[in-house]
Amino acid sequence: MLGFLEARQVGLDDPGRLRRAEATRSMLSGGSDGIIALYDLENFSRKVHYTCKSICSVGRNHPDVHKYSVETVQWYPHDTGMFTSSSFDKTLKIWDTNTLQPADVFHFEGTVYSHHMSPVATKHCLIAVGTKGPKVQLCDLKSGSCSHILQGHRQEILAVSWSPRYEYILATASADSKVKLWDIRRASGCLITLDQHNGEKSKASSEAANTAHNGRVNGLCFTRDGLHLLTIGTDDRMRLWNSSNGENTLVNYGKVCNESRKGLKFTISHGCSPEFVFVPYGSAIAVYTVYSGELITMLRGHYNTVDCCVFQPNFQELYSGSRDCNILAWVPALREPLPDEDDEAETQKNPAFEDAWSSSDEEG
Amino acid sequence: MSRKRPRLVPETFGSRRRRGPGGAGEEPPGGEAGSVRRALRELGELFPRLLFQDALPPIALKSQVYSLVPDRTAADRQLRELRELGEVRVIQLGFDADAQGIVFTEDFRTKALASCRGRPYEGTVKRFLASVLPACGDLSFHQDQMTQTFGFRDCEITQLVNAGVLTVRDAGSWWLSVPGAGRFVKYFVKGRQAVLGMVRKSKYRELLLSELLARRAPLSVRLGLPYHVHDLIGGQLLDIVPTTSGTLLRLPET
Repeated sequence: MLGFLEARQVGLDDPGRLRRAEATRSMLSGGSDGIIALYDLENFSRKVHYTCKSICSVGRNHPDVHKYSVETVQWYPHDTGMFTSSSFDKTLKIWDTNTLQPADVFHFEGTVYSHHMSPVATKHCLIAVGTKGPKVQLCDLKSGSCSHILQGHRQEILAVSWSPRYEYILATASADSKVKLWDIRRASGCLITLDQHNGEKSKASSEAANTAHNGRVNGLCFTRDGLHLLTIGTDDRMRLWNSSNGENTLVNYGKVCNESRKGLKFTISHGCSPEFVFVPYGSAIAVYTVYSGELITMLRGHYNTVDCCVFQPNFQELYSGSRDCNILAWVPALREPLPDEDDEAETQKNPAFEDAWSSSDEEG
Repeated sequence: MSRKRPRLVPETFGSRRRRGPGGAGEEPPGGEAGSVRRALRELGELFPRLLFQDALPPIALKSQVYSLVPDRTAADRQLRELRELGEVRVIQLGFDADAQGIVFTEDFRTKALASCRGRPYEGTVKRFLASVLPACGDLSFHQDQMTQTFGFRDCEITQLVNAGVLTVRDAGSWWLSVPGAGRFVKYFVKGRQAVLGMVRKSKYRELLLSELLARRAPLSVRLGLPYHVHDLIGGQLLDIVPTTSGTLLRLPET
């Protein structure tokens, strides 16, 4: 039942834009062939290596299937009766899970890179959509039309994410190297534009003023408590920001290779101490601690570039989708407790069980 | 020592170093500003002074500091502290947006004064070093800053650029620079390419660190192999793989 209160996490990509529904332990994945599949994540087989079956899917013979690659899928935040998917065919579709029919379709002028619906919103049902155009569109589920446009970026919007803490705060990342935080109730523009140098103009060339990265900003992820924001860019850097004042915390993760031309979906753990961030790094997944920047390990298992990953906090598992058409589930390894060296000392018998009989046959 | 649990974190070159280039070492990385200061002094030892006829202060690169202090966030924080204390200056070297050189302020001042002795712009440079350097810890200076706050005229700014203390960055702004650093940058870029080439040409594109250091450096490597190896490791241009025969340097796949 914790599932109902949990915030939903962001989807993945190719083949999976992955999304989990905590309550029903099922996962949505959208692939570059336009197919959306639902998987049952529960493992009843008790085997170490298991395969999750696909429960149902919107396949190529479905009349309303997406024509091009599905970029983002997300469960409706409050239950699994509905899910949303957006694709390069310039549409955002709202699907009814039980009948697998689209309940609504939003059309846009440019390809849709990313969409997100707020996990904590109660007062609004807005979906933020990032497209090829520089304007962020907010589509209202209740009225079925685009109610809102946020202007401020100059190039395509590659990632959008609502804050898991405040239902009106939205973060958007664009190819013009800027990341902006918006309060959608405000009419006059963005709240903060994140600046990687924290206002010190002297650090870089003048063109790089007020930019979050020195290249396109590909991915956004809020930490679970919404207090920090992680951004990743094509300058091979990942930065951690304080989401309340937009300050760069200057945690140095080193080089985080990023060659994706579209958005990169990465994810943060929840319920671990310290929190980890899982970033697709070539054909492996790099695991860093969020607040200290240390590279813990690289998870290798895919044969081709990993595009997306998502974390399931209830099972504490990571799911990753890659260009080799596989979705892998990464399960935390339970270590056997090591035997202590002073074993002999520990096996002292309880004196009540000691007997005074000697073990030799002779009288003693 | 009890049997250790298998570590998820491999011992990187940085934390186990001291067997590598750089000589004897002691402290665990991280901690106070001391470890970065020690790293900078050690890198200063590696810098070849005679090559430049002692006209340049020892320049260390930020990537080399990351190689000696593997916790990057802590290294950045300590560097910031040292900059605020005024002990070090960060110089933008120009060939790469990421490559920043670090010099001790005292060394920088001595060498800058020595390089302009007897020249017509000596007075301006002295005034610059005395008034601007302690006041402003930035990497670059703006037109308004120079003319209004510090009272330099345009002709004096031109003299500073001729002296090599300032380098043009943009219309109306200048980077702080080390006089005579051009030769250093040229040797550095060539040497970096040469060392990377050594690893690239080897079979399987990997080399044991001990093997690399034992080889004769090609002629284009004037600054010394250990100097370049620190920079390549810290700048993540080479991957470190710990093996039973020592540290292995490998070119990253991408």
